[in-house]
Amino acid sequence: MARYYDELLKLCGFEVEEINGEGSRIEKAFQKLEIGPEDMEPAESWVRQHHDVELVGVRKLLAAWLKELIDLVLAKDEGKRVIYFGFPAITRPGTLIASASEEIYCACPDTILCHTMGQIFNKLTPILEAGEQNGLPPGHALCSLWQIKVGALAKGIIPAPDMAMASSYYCDMGSKADDLLHEIYGTPIVYIDGSMDSAWGEYPDYSPQRVEFLGAELNRLFDEVKEIVGVEITSEAWEKAAPSMRQYYGGIGQLTELMKADPVPLYGAETSLATILGAACTGRGISEGSKAITILIEEVQRRVDEGVGVVEKGAPRVMVFVGNFSDASIMRMIENTGLAVPQTYFTVPPPKAKARTSYATVGEIMAENEMRGGLYHSSYGAAKRTEMATEYSKLDGIIFNYPFNCRPAAQMSHTLKKWVEENTGIPALSLENDLYDSRSYSAAALRTRVETFAEMLRARKASASV
Amino acid sequence: MEAINSLSAHLKRRLVDLSEAKREGRKIVGYTPGGYLPEELVLAAGAIPLCLIRGGEHSAVEAAGAHICRWMDTFCRAQIGYSTAGDDPYYTILDLLAIPITDNHIRAISDIVDYATDIEVFPFGVPHKKEKAALTYYLHGITRLKEKLEQLTGVEITESKLREAVYVCNRERELLREISLMRKSQPVPINSKDFVALNHGSFLGDKMVVVETLESLYEELKGQAALPRQGPRILLTGSTLAQGDSKVQDIIEEVGGVVVIEEFAEGIRPYWENVKPDGDLMAELANTYFMSRVPPAWFRPGRERLDFLIKLAKDFDVAGVIWYQLMYRESYKMESYYFPNILKEETGLPMLTTESDYDASEVGPLRTRIETFIETIRR
Repeated sequence: MARYYDELLKLCGFEVEEINGEGSRIEKAFQKLEIGPEDMEPAESWVRQHHDVELVGVRKLLAAWLKELIDLVLAKDEGKRVIYFGFPAITRPGTLIASASEEIYCACPDTILCHTMGQIFNKLTPILEAGEQNGLPPGHALCSLWQIKVGALAKGIIPAPDMAMASSYYCDMGSKADDLLHEIYGTPIVYIDGSMDSAWGEYPDYSPQRVEFLGAELNRLFDEVKEIVGVEITSEAWEKAAPSMRQYYGGIGQLTELMKADPVPLYGAETSLATILGAACTGRGISEGSKAITILIEEVQRRVDEGVGVVEKGAPRVMVFVGNFSDASIMRMIENTGLAVPQTYFTVPPPKAKARTSYATVGEIMAENEMRGGLYHSSYGAAKRTEMATEYSKLDGIIFNYPFNCRPAAQMSHTLKKWVEENTGIPALSLENDLYDSRSYSAAALRTRVETFAEMLRARKASASV
Repeated sequence: MEAINSLSAHLKRRLVDLSEAKREGRKIVGYTPGGYLPEELVLAAGAIPLCLIRGGEHSAVEAAGAHICRWMDTFCRAQIGYSTAGDDPYYTILDLLAIPITDNHIRAISDIVDYATDIEVFPFGVPHKKEKAALTYYLHGITRLKEKLEQLTGVEITESKLREAVYVCNRERELLREISLMRKSQPVPINSKDFVALNHGSFLGDKMVVVETLESLYEELKGQAALPRQGPRILLTGSTLAQGDSKVQDIIEEVGGVVVIEEFAEGIRPYWENVKPDGDLMAELANTYFMSRVPPAWFRPGRERLDFLIKLAKDFDVAGVIWYQLMYRESYKMESYYFPNILKEETGLPMLTTESDYDASEVGPLRTRIETFIETIRR
């Protein structure tokens, strides 16, 4: 007998056997998520409008997100010890911890909720409202990603964690919101601290003490995991995690290369579906996501070979800083103005290490890697990486769609645009946005600004070719 | 009070004095408030420390709009406004702006002043936790600062010069502490606005003049009859109490409350701990400025400060807490959600949360709320 969710899940890349095999888990999870038969038709329509479901790889990516959602919601019921991390985060520690024991569920829950309850079901508002009522009121530019986490906990949608890791090296808000979790749920918090004190202009250099400090914090995290949840992070965990991470990041690299094609072969929302998985998941999201990416690469390669694109050949190419997590329509709106989006900040390959470093511990190696990544180095590091992207993808423009309620990003609202324009000669649009809460912006107002920017880029490109 | 009047007169001619000192070759080192820059290092290098604590003006906040969006802390935006306008004498006179990077709001000042002005900026990190690795990192930061100051001034910061500076700064802290503790009495011998003015003066004035003023005020207060105030005793706390931002204090006074103790991360010099003047002085500076002091809300976890607030509330026998935060400083906003319950459980005291973006239109609603709060606790 057909179940109410069959068609939606099939649209989202589930195989019939998978639906049959997971039926009871799906139902239990949907019950907690307050998803019922009435949500199926709007969700199908929402997904078809904003995702390229002709591509099996895209559908499978949606499936990977949904499977991760189900695992998240049921983690405690299924006897797992639950560890959360925030976004953005240095992701490898989470992967290592999850690899160390089958009994641990480790993920960034709010990001998973955005990509599923937002991008698939368009039902984030009640969760956001619960967050607003439980410590993160509206009107104060508090992080809506955190409103989602706190709201989902308050509503009992996701389990209270046994431990949380705070990205104290980057975000003040997340760490203080973790304090809130501690006050409400008694959750032990491990603050991974650091200090973004590099001077403007310092990237890619950094003081070795920054790496030593952040490295020590990451190493201590592993000790605390042992103390709090009783799981030791051994070199075997590293070896176990490495192949799947290599496969995943290798796939992202291939996809990024394919996006250099003209015309651009894939919508930006779909590449974001793939890239953000790695920032949010450590379990099925990664294993199933990697398979989905392999399929997607084949499909996209075919499009490249056939000269098929999602926008016209020769369309101005822009980097959108980051795709909206909960609302794929914004990226599609940008593309509908005739702009190609081959790149986000998170797909720009980081510069290689200049020389073999002398750092020996796992924590220090991770910390050094993050310094090169730019974002956790400094605002200048982020600006410089943006400059690198312009060369990498032969960009014609930058859309810096900074989330207004994220202080590390919002503090670059003007400087990033100005610096990039001065140093690359490429126009940049600073577009204030909320990546997680679609109530905070008007898509029409954003469209007006993007359309004007697109017109300007087209005119600029045309005059350059004369 | 005579001592306060004389400090006020000193501050009025301070810019002239600073210009003269600069002409004579002395370097002026500005820094952002927060209590993480050891002035001892600046003094030992023969330079003049100047803490940039001006605020309260919406025009400066508006001026920052050319460089940053509105979603950052009000005080920090004001500093961006003052510095980028290029006509604020406290910024234009600087030879160096040292910025202890405490959170993303202060980091915004560092990045924007560095990028958008000719002011030389020297950032150094303040970790957000109290532990060994963090202390090591902070010590590394102030050691870099020491080297930078030596390079800027051409003066070697010797052990004896540093020790001498430690003695002076310790004396300043001691006197502020003694004067503050006098307010445990009922009624208080000095009102909050005067005490805060002393604090602000200590950030801007010549160190020796400030110490002399505090000495003389201390003696004056010992022999003086207490002020005839009988209103509810208030603990005023929050992120920043800038020079020029006295509206909450004014309102509390006007509606009959008495602020008997203030706890602010920025705008009130931390005076509870002294630096041990022996042993490895750099390590002692790091210990006092980082490990021993009560941390602001952007430390994690933030419980140490909340416990300290409870202690202050009890020690100073207050009838209520007024929490004054600036817009978009998320760490204070978050704590203001759960602290009232902790406070209630531990002391039974009520708390009023107020917020400002340095906008004149806030005064009316603030007055109504504070007046109601004072009336409620008066009963």
